[in-house]
Order: sequence, then structure tokens, then C-alpha cells
Amino acid sequence: MAKVKIPRKSTTIDMTAMCDVAFLLLTFFMLTTKFRPQELAQINIPASTAQIPIPDANILTIQVTEQGKVFMGVDDQNTREGMLLKLKERYQLPEFNANQMSAFKLMDAFGMPVEQLPQFLSMKAEERNTMVQPGIAIDSTNNQLGEILLAARQSNPELRIAIKADASTDYEKVNKVIQTLQERKVNKFNLITSARGLSGEAKE
Amino acid sequence: MAEMNTAEGGGKKKGKKKTRSKKVSTRVDLTAMVDLGFLLITFFMLATTFNKPKAMEVNKPAKDDKQEDVPEVKMTKTYTVLIATNDKAYCYVASEDDPNILVDSTDFSRTGFREKIKERQKAVEQAWGNKDELFVLIKPLPKSDYRNLVNVLDEMAINGVKKYAIIDDFNFADSSIVKQVGQSLDSN
Repeated sequence: MAKVKIPRKSTTIDMTAMCDVAFLLLTFFMLTTKFRPQELAQINIPASTAQIPIPDANILTIQVTEQGKVFMGVDDQNTREGMLLKLKERYQLPEFNANQMSAFKLMDAFGMPVEQLPQFLSMKAEERNTMVQPGIAIDSTNNQLGEILLAARQSNPELRIAIKADASTDYEKVNKVIQTLQERKVNKFNLITSARGLSGEAKE
Repeated sequence: MAEMNTAEGGGKKKGKKKTRSKKVSTRVDLTAMVDLGFLLITFFMLATTFNKPKAMEVNKPAKDDKQEDVPEVKMTKTYTVLIATNDKAYCYVASEDDPNILVDSTDFSRTGFREKIKERQKAVEQAWGNKDELFVLIKPLPKSDYRNLVNVLDEMAINGVKKYAIIDDFNFADSSIVKQVGQSLDSN
């Protein structure tokens, strides 16, 4: 019986097509997505069938966590600067130096009592990012959210207001924020929700 | 580079004959490039947000100090929804003269609240000729989940309810229902 010779086959594969696919996907992801902003707290937003996209510019977001902590941020750096200056006047804070100013301008959202802002802004960036912020006070006696809101709107009157609250937050906590908005004559605002199909299948 | 030189190996022949340029394969090993490509894809998939969240618009009535011209709504055109804890909703039709009201307990699934709204829309259409006459009063209890408020607002949009309002005051009927079902109106 003759030996059957098995021809040796090369183990190299043509990678060109795979490379094409990889870079096509890469380009797709780079173009269609946007960097996730740093989150101060985990917020699971509720789902709805609303179709209105959130505007890209001039937006003020109030975040409410499950525990009822309130964070706030505006998207535009110039608005942030104007807002900080207004807050300085209102709360008679010491003059901010350039470092503190730029630190504030780079913050997407914050949740510190206004009195502690200068100290907070002087911290190192890493310390600031890892620190657990206590949230903005919205008690009826010390409603700093209202004041910050006023400062932000004075700095940029075109701001639209959006509330991003966790799905499991108690209604009263969200309502406190809504009442603060209404005290400042903001009667029109947006609730941020994630998209869901019309069928309602995703409902728990 | 060093490897490439050894592979060509044509260094010895120089000078004697016409230098013939050796055919070099144009194939490049793309494995490393593919690796890099997929690494970057993974990075972008994890570091970016894919779908933009959507916004739901809410209009609240302006808080006026002087309450003039509050439009009167006939109670028979209304539908009150109490959003309670544990994803429960209690709906009823209030009436001016009848103290006995029928309370429906429902949830926020597809067959729950949506059906109730549709039934009510039909009833209003029969009685008043137009289903847009329906006025839904949404009353979330302090301890109810925010998610359910969004659910109810969403149902308003889905079923095309034109008139609805989020109300924070509870009347006597509401508080007695709340008491009966063992929920609480207190915030703590």
C-alpha cells in the first residue's frame, strides 16, 4: 500500500478583507458615536416613546440620582464661565484664579454646595474626579439650585432645561426640582428618556 | 528592515551582469493591522455612547399669584390616575354628586393602563361626541417611582390624549382611596 501524501498547505490567510472590515467598523463607530461624558453618578433613565432628540447646544441638564442627589451642568464653556462669575457675586466668594476658572469650565456637571466651590476647584483634577460630591441643596430654606439656575440663565438666556432623573427615584424628589424650576418661572422643560419602540415590549 | 535585506539576498551579484531588480512580493502581513483595528473598535464601542437619549417635553401651568379664570372642567369628563408605589395605578372617574366612585386598580403593562385609557376615551366619545374632551388628572404619590410618571405621560402621547395635567394636590376622594389600598400620601 502506497503512502498517501498529504500536500502541505500554507497556514497564512489573506487578511486584507478582514482588515477592511475592521477599519470600516472603526470608521462607523467613530462617526456615529460621541464620547460618553464623565458621569458623576449612575443614572438609569426611564424609557419612553418620545422621539424628540435633545438639542445639541444651549442645554442645561439637572441630574437626579436614585437617592435624590441633584447635580447640574451646562454644555457650553462660556456659559459655565459666566455662571461662575454670577455665582461669585451672589455668594460673595473670593476672586477665582485662572486655574480654578479653567477647572470649572471643564466640568460637565457638578454637585457641590456653592460655598465649597473655590476649595473644590483648587483640588487636583484626579482628586476632584474621585471625590463623591454631595449634591446641590434644594431645601426650601437653602435652595441653591434655584440660584445656580438663575445664574446660568442670566449668563445664557437661551438655555433649555432638561431633567435627567433615575427611573427609580421617588416622585417627590423629582417634584422638588420641578417646583424649583417653577419658582424661577421655568414652566417648560424636558425629561430625558431613552428611546423605546411603540410596542411597549420593553416594559417590565 | 534587517529581515527584508536577507530576504532579497541579491547583494553578491552586483557588477557582473545587468542588475535585474528582483520581484518582491507585494503582500504584506496584515495580521497586526487587523489586531489594531479591532482594538480601536473595542475602545470606541466602550468609550462612546451609541444612541442619543430622547427628550419628553413637559409644560406646567404658570404659577400665578392671582388665580383668575381657572377653567372649570366637568368631573364626568375627567379621569383621575393615582400613581402609587410598587408600579400600581388607581384610576377612577370622579363625579360631582355621587359619593360612591369605582376605583380600578391597574399596572403599567401594555394591557393595563393603556386599555383603561382607551376605554375611557370611548366612553367620553360616546357621551360628548369627541374623545379629545377627556381630561386626565395625573396624581403621582410622593413615594411613587419617577419611571411610572414617565410611563403615564408616554401613554398620553401614545393614545393621543390632548388634555392632561400633573397635579400635586390630593382631594378627599384621593386620600380615602390611598388609605384603602394601604399606600401613603406622606413623603417620609
